Amino acid sequence: MERVSFEHLLSISACLLLALLAHVNSLPVWVPLIVAICGAIRLMMAWRGGGAPKRWVLLTVAALVSALAFLKFHTFNGLPAGTALLALMMGLKLLETATRRDIYIITLGIYFLCIAALLNSESFWLLGYLVGVCWLTSATLLRLTTSQPASAWLPSLRYGARLLAQALPLALIFWLLFPRLGGPLWSLPVDSDSAESGLGESMSPGDITQLAQSDEIAFRVHFLAAPPPPEELYWRGPVFNDFNGRKWYGSLSASRKDPQLVLNGPAYRYVVSLEPHQHVWIFTLDWLKESNLPRAFLTADHTLVSPFAVSRPVDVAATSYPHANFLDPLSERLRQRELDLPRGANPRTRQLSQRLRAEHPNDMEFVGAVLQMFAQQPYYYTLTPPKLADDSVDQFLFDTKRGFCGHYASAFAVLMRAAGIPARVVTGYQGGTFNRFSDYWILRQSNAHAWDEIWIDGRGWIRIDPTASIAPQRVERDVADSVSADTATVSHWRGHSRWLADARLRLDALSELWRERVLTFNQDSQDRLLEMLHIPDPDGEKLVMVLAAALGCVLVWLTWQVRRELDAHSPDPAVRSYARLCTKLAAAGIPRRAHEGPESYAERVAGLRPDLAVQVEMLCRYYSNLRFAPPAGLSVAQFRAQVRGFRPSRSPR
Amino acid sequence: MRISRRRIYILPTRFGMMLAVILAAMLIAGLNYNSNLGLAFAFLVASLTLVTMHHCNRNLLGILVDVTTEIDAFAGREAGVDFVLRNESNVDRPDVEIRILSAAGMGRSSARNEDLVSVVVAAPGRGVLQVEQFELRTRYPFGWFYAWTYVQSPVTIFVAPAPLGSRTLPSNRESGTAAAAETRGDEDFSGLRAYQPGVPLKHMAWKSLARGGEAAVRTYTGLAAQPEWLEWTALEGLDTEARLSQLCLWVLESDGAQRPYGLRIPGTEIAPSGGAAHRFACLRTLAAYGGGTA
Repeated sequence: MERVSFEHLLSISACLLLALLAHVNSLPVWVPLIVAICGAIRLMMAWRGGGAPKRWVLLTVAALVSALAFLKFHTFNGLPAGTALLALMMGLKLLETATRRDIYIITLGIYFLCIAALLNSESFWLLGYLVGVCWLTSATLLRLTTSQPASAWLPSLRYGARLLAQALPLALIFWLLFPRLGGPLWSLPVDSDSAESGLGESMSPGDITQLAQSDEIAFRVHFLAAPPPPEELYWRGPVFNDFNGRKWYGSLSASRKDPQLVLNGPAYRYVVSLEPHQHVWIFTLDWLKESNLPRAFLTADHTLVSPFAVSRPVDVAATSYPHANFLDPLSERLRQRELDLPRGANPRTRQLSQRLRAEHPNDMEFVGAVLQMFAQQPYYYTLTPPKLADDSVDQFLFDTKRGFCGHYASAFAVLMRAAGIPARVVTGYQGGTFNRFSDYWILRQSNAHAWDEIWIDGRGWIRIDPTASIAPQRVERDVADSVSADTATVSHWRGHSRWLADARLRLDALSELWRERVLTFNQDSQDRLLEMLHIPDPDGEKLVMVLAAALGCVLVWLTWQVRRELDAHSPDPAVRSYARLCTKLAAAGIPRRAHEGPESYAERVAGLRPDLAVQVEMLCRYYSNLRFAPPAGLSVAQFRAQVRGFRPSRSPR
Repeated sequence: MRISRRRIYILPTRFGMMLAVILAAMLIAGLNYNSNLGLAFAFLVASLTLVTMHHCNRNLLGILVDVTTEIDAFAGREAGVDFVLRNESNVDRPDVEIRILSAAGMGRSSARNEDLVSVVVAAPGRGVLQVEQFELRTRYPFGWFYAWTYVQSPVTIFVAPAPLGSRTLPSNRESGTAAAAETRGDEDFSGLRAYQPGVPLKHMAWKSLARGGEAAVRTYTGLAAQPEWLEWTALEGLDTEARLSQLCLWVLESDGAQRPYGLRIPGTEIAPSGGAAHRFACLRTLAAYGGGTA
């Protein structure tokens, strides 16, 4: 194997580092740093004309960096640890690179680093960037293979681009038609650094305030028909039944039997496009009738739950009805649970509740009185509430009186329970931004909300949003608008500049398109594709057949495309047309001899085929005039048209 | 000879095999993570391999190759086999490797051009080497595949014996007259004749060339007059190969001295003459002695 040059080392180091840049968010910074140092050392040695370092040095360094990686990740399994290890090994390989074989191995590493960066990514830009890295790697490989006289970089890059361009249609066919798996082949290791986002599995009143300041998108919704009115846009998430005085907890237990609900009102059909949040719940409107997510189920609290944590973007089509009648009474066990309050906690709240209850024995009147209290007394709605101590509800209701939706929902539920009305806290998202450029709703983390449900005998669970009575506009509009001006910490530009907001929506419409068409492309999309091709009953077998057929077509095209360049065709259109004329005459049985010029050829044709004589002589004279003495009034286009129109028969008429 | 489509074979290289393993891993990772972007990248690289396969094949397709059919060499030295790669197409064909016997030479064939590739073949022993075919091979563009084709085109390599021996030329040995004739011959300038390759530089008529005339060679009457027979039988006491080596040395010495010489070995007699063609005839006779194939 031939030894490598400085230039080869330089370009392969650059490719490796560029591939590593794609991991800059998921890898500790010392990984690319070590690789860069390895590359720099090797380049310096090559510059001085030296070879690779000694083997024992390399082995020592390899052991050291592996130990370092293990200390950091505590495993070599899983995507980040595996990627880090691969990157470090490639760095070391760079250090010991002496022959072309070493560089070939590094290119394989680069490909793997590229795909590792894409596995957990959804970014269009990252894909484009890594295709760029692949392009550079191709040019490097090309220069490595054809090291004859080292030519300029530009032709290598151009050739690499041509190869990639020819590969694109093939890749597209593969991507569209290669059968996808329904689920993973084996359960994926949970990556420790893929953070959960959005609502949590428990709720203390202050939790949602952090979310309210996040612009991150939680999910998007397409309504298949008219959307519900804004006051119905409550997207149900985790439900909390158990209160310990500070925090609310829930469970995801499925109901033992299907809840007996009679759903009525207009049916809302919609598709929730959920961003990965590493939790199991799927946000749907109240009250869910059905969804298309396989193996998903409804909890006893009527939240839709996926069988595994949502770690990829997922689309769920669902149907909901705004009203529900509960046929079964609340079981005694559940009633106890929904009434339970921690003993001795929040005594002032209990007193208040009992006092109000004495005045309003009717359940709904009592609820109205509590909401009235929130509306009339100076309760503020703020993103930066004061910190609360042990009896958090007491403190909030009587002392600080400043809070966010979590505070109000929590306090309301405690007031209800103290008065003997079963109540629970529901978290989820409320409202949303309508993207008028692409007809869907965007739900951001800032739309996170908490509300209550109370059980009224004979009617069932009823949604009450106590926060709405403090800031009624909150129900209609965004969080940011309802925050009192002095405590606004939400980014200022939002809502200030109309065109900026529009641009943001347009950009989001694009990314939604990307998400819908590319990221969530799956078996169903493939089935729809086959249906579009008028293939009945699409299944995996037919998909493979279509894939094979399409691949065959593209490969034929590719063969033609690749071989076409071998035909020595002249750049001069007149010459090309003349060649065409000769081909036509050859097909008619009189091929031009290599030594024949146009005039003598025409003469011979005239002798053999008098019926063609006039035409051929005219065309040949036209050609020689065009080529050798272009007088005014002759045009190549005309010549070409005449040649095109010339159709000699095989045998003389 | 034009390389046709049906005669080109292609296989992945070892590096290509490794790439296939990596591609399979990439595919499984993409499917398992259900990552459409990962799959897109894996498919792009996979498609790239298919495209490079076509380009690898194309790098040999339609190339025209000619080879010198007769090569002369000396035993123990190297023989240079010259190939002409003719490329009538519009695309460059870098990285064309020619393999003949156990030797290989790298070349490139530029668009609309002819390129010469010399492959140096080791010639270990005396004899006539008959090579029926040679191989064109390429790993272009990425070294993932190698395409090869066999070209049936006989090449004969005449490996003359190594010019060795301690005996002086018969004329030198028998009398001093030859040596005297040679020295006298230098003075005995008889005229000019047309230049032909292989003439010693000291016999070139530089002056006439400098005056703008044709390249010419001075001739000497003394040299033309005395043909010398290089005789197998004059080398009693040596074994066959030693005799052949000695004869080879004499051929070269006589040729260098511009003296007409003839060769007489069992079964063959070459009449006295001079010049490059005569020298080659003698050397090939020595190479082929005893029907010898190396």
